Amino acid sequence: MNAAQVTRKVAEDIPRISLVWLLVAQVLVIIPHVLHVPLWLLGLWLGCAAWRVQVFRMRVPFPNSWVKAALMLSSGFAVYLSRGSLVGLDAAVALLITAFILKLLEMRTRRDALVLIFLGFFSVVTSYLFADGLLAALYSILPVIALLAALLGLQQSSFAAQPLLTLKLASRLFAQAIPLMVLLFVLFPRLEPLWSLPQPKEQGTVGLSSSMTPGDLADLGQSSALAFRARFDGAIPAQSQLYWRALTLPYFDGRSWSISQQLGTQEPQWQAQGEALSYSIIMQPSTQPWLFALDVGSSEQADIRLMSDFRLQRSTPVNRAYQYQATSWPNALRQPQLSQMQQHEFLQLPRAGNPQTRDWAQTLRKQYPDDNALVAGLLQHFNQQPYYYTLKSPLLGKDSVDEFLFSSRRGFCAHYAGAMVFTLRAAGIPSRVVAGYQGGETNQAGQFVQVRQFDAHAWVEYWQLGQGWRSVDPTFQVAPERIERGVQDALKDEADLFQGDFLSPLRYQHIAWINQLRMSWESLNHSWQTQILGYQRERQQAWLKQWFGQVDWQTIGLFLVLSAALIIALLVLWMFKPWQRQSDPLQRIVNEFQRVLQRRGFTRQTGEGLRSFWQRIRADLPEGQQPAVARFIELYEQQQYAQQSPDLVVLRRALAEIKK
Amino acid sequence: MLEKLSSKPRQWFATWLARRLPPVQRIRLQQRHIFIVPTLTGAAYAGSLVLMLLVAINYQNSLAYALTFLLASLGLLTMFHTWRNLAGLTLSAAGSTPCFVGEKGSYRLRLNSQKRDYQAIAVGWNRTQLQLLDVPRDTEQYAELTAQGLRRGWQQAPRLRIETRFPLGLFVAWSQIDLAQTLLVYPQPLHDVVLVTAGQGDNDESEQANMSAGVDDYQGLIAWQPGDSLRRIHWKAWSKGQGLLVKQFTEQQGSQLILDFDQLPGAVEWRLSVLCAQVLKVSQTDQSYSLVLTGQTIGPGFGTEHLKHCLRALALYGVSTP
Repeated sequence: MNAAQVTRKVAEDIPRISLVWLLVAQVLVIIPHVLHVPLWLLGLWLGCAAWRVQVFRMRVPFPNSWVKAALMLSSGFAVYLSRGSLVGLDAAVALLITAFILKLLEMRTRRDALVLIFLGFFSVVTSYLFADGLLAALYSILPVIALLAALLGLQQSSFAAQPLLTLKLASRLFAQAIPLMVLLFVLFPRLEPLWSLPQPKEQGTVGLSSSMTPGDLADLGQSSALAFRARFDGAIPAQSQLYWRALTLPYFDGRSWSISQQLGTQEPQWQAQGEALSYSIIMQPSTQPWLFALDVGSSEQADIRLMSDFRLQRSTPVNRAYQYQATSWPNALRQPQLSQMQQHEFLQLPRAGNPQTRDWAQTLRKQYPDDNALVAGLLQHFNQQPYYYTLKSPLLGKDSVDEFLFSSRRGFCAHYAGAMVFTLRAAGIPSRVVAGYQGGETNQAGQFVQVRQFDAHAWVEYWQLGQGWRSVDPTFQVAPERIERGVQDALKDEADLFQGDFLSPLRYQHIAWINQLRMSWESLNHSWQTQILGYQRERQQAWLKQWFGQVDWQTIGLFLVLSAALIIALLVLWMFKPWQRQSDPLQRIVNEFQRVLQRRGFTRQTGEGLRSFWQRIRADLPEGQQPAVARFIELYEQQQYAQQSPDLVVLRRALAEIKK
Repeated sequence: MLEKLSSKPRQWFATWLARRLPPVQRIRLQQRHIFIVPTLTGAAYAGSLVLMLLVAINYQNSLAYALTFLLASLGLLTMFHTWRNLAGLTLSAAGSTPCFVGEKGSYRLRLNSQKRDYQAIAVGWNRTQLQLLDVPRDTEQYAELTAQGLRRGWQQAPRLRIETRFPLGLFVAWSQIDLAQTLLVYPQPLHDVVLVTAGQGDNDESEQANMSAGVDDYQGLIAWQPGDSLRRIHWKAWSKGQGLLVKQFTEQQGSQLILDFDQLPGAVEWRLSVLCAQVLKVSQTDQSYSLVLTGQTIGPGFGTEHLKHCLRALALYGVSTP
């Protein structure tokens, strides 16, 4: 006899192991939510957890139903106060976490624990809506395994007293499920959303906006947040060629440049010329509909359009990481014809202000009758005069262009682009500011270009009849290193402004191995985004086409079922290890006994007890065999009713007697 | 589930079960013995997975898809784990503890494991009264299943239920096994009518005589057995560290107590009950006694073994052996 012999009624209370893992799981589940739930929830959680632990230690009772109702109502109200509503994803998740926390106080029976565990799984799923990076995904394995351990602990008998063994078992179950999960992940059809749901609000998204005051871009220049990653199908073009267009800002109100109010959605007239570049981009959520592409970009994706100002735009804002494929013709001829009205739009200037610049434009006009020559002259002016490229530009007054061009002469790309377009327009040349990103960091490990917010850039396009739009970049004249090597290189002296905090790996680019590590990590992230997060409808279709020739769901379904069966069969084989199976030794002896008698013409029927078998055949047995058989059966029954395990030696000897 | 069925299908099920799982004294649970069905917990689990899948579809979130599929695969695999947690387990009858009518006896159940750990195995008569036990690999464990003694004689054990929900409780694998176990049920002792036998002949007197004579005729020492009177323990030997020894006395043939069935009036069961109470009472003392049932005499003797013999004879009076 040992301890396990003491048996226990299946009770309704929660086993200790399960409770331990539930508390651990709850911590692990809530951690990723900390960033986007109201802070008071953490206080509520600590309070509830402390209460529950005291209940377990029998120091305090469970709360009664009034307390519970009051807690529920006040928590709901508090969520409403801090989120402004009870609908919307943020509020829903806050409510879910609240329920998850409060359920702790109500947890008495196994059923309550089950509810808590299922709520936990659901909370893990919602955490993916806010963060779906590689680290977040790897992290989420922890709460999932802890929840599984809690679920497992609920089923264990009270003799199982080692929480770590339960965890080990949970991890093993987790690992065994992975092959089947991969199969389902790849083959399960990705459906279109069934209905639209509130999307997670991006917390403080930075990025280009629809209007630009010179200082804005300088602010953006201080953020090292990722804007997008681009992977080229061929070689990566030179950095100075990478002008990622986002939008055009044709309208000037005297201080800031902004988008056109009556932007046409019809595709502008253009002719593809020269070599095409093909690439795919994964952009981070921007909350804006516009996409990034090299000029002139086009995409075959149904929800992407080329707008009349040559920007690519999606039908809905990009609220989640978004992947698209685009093709660009850098040498294309763009809009060789413009109507009078369109030309007029690109000549718009405020009625008054910046008189000095307007005069200077007239002087230039006289000096260079040809438009192209005037542009060249203007660029030369930026190149030769003492202009400085800096993030720390002085604040400018009412006539900002005048001040910048003639007195301060210090500024960021937006200052140069704005001033140049103003001058061109004053000289009668249709032109506009283009906002986007320039350059990016080439990741050799992953063969892609990574563009950050500080790569934001503004440049200039002017229009010529028959030649269409041409891009020029005044910043290149002032700080060519900005275009050739990137903004970090160009602003070495002001590095502290945009390199992020002390711990940011960007700060240590000069240390080779850290840089190498960072590049590899970013490359891994890129693969994660394209291969895993980007595995949506289009990608799945492409992938399935590659493997199955065509996307025929019947075939794929059959394949899914068959390969799932194969995986399960392998796992089950591995679980049961039939090659190791040993039959019950006692049963072997009985089988042997049956065989011996069968050879002599006595067959035991299925389900027939040995004794009734004996009674049936006794009369027919030869006289000499009777004692041996009787003795065997008697011994066998003795063994059966014995209080200890059977003595096989005695039985074998009795069997040998029969065989004689 | 079974309990909810109306009586006719249940009967049909019982017949079917009896055909499929005939009574055996020892059974190694295998494929045809084990049934497996999802539990309510399993249904709730599936329900939450559907919700999670809806989130995955509507938010087009790959990780939500991945977690949903992971949990779905895991749930499916636990079906095999649950099944495996019964398969290969050997159940056998391991005797029973007799009881009196109206009291609780118990059937003893032996569970043997080979090569594999079996966790959280629940055994009992029905789904509401189950006891949990673990059977670690290559060990044997015992479970006592109590049952009320209903009628004198051999009492057949009902089909016992063995089930497991391990590991996640999403499925329940179960079997209903008839181990052809029997429980010896003694007659219900009727203590109040002791006087009837006391008035029989000169027994009362001889009882006294027997006692004093018995103590005098000291024969030797034998090892103490549970049930032996404490008064007969040789305390001196015990204090010398020789273990518990009992003084044995010669039995006085002539003046001993005879409990005779045929001497009693009344119905058979009533007489047996009275004798049962008598036997129990006498065995409390050091009195040697014999039990005479029609055509059968037990004893004379005393001590636990003798008592057991007598009770067994009373229980099986007029009952054919199973």
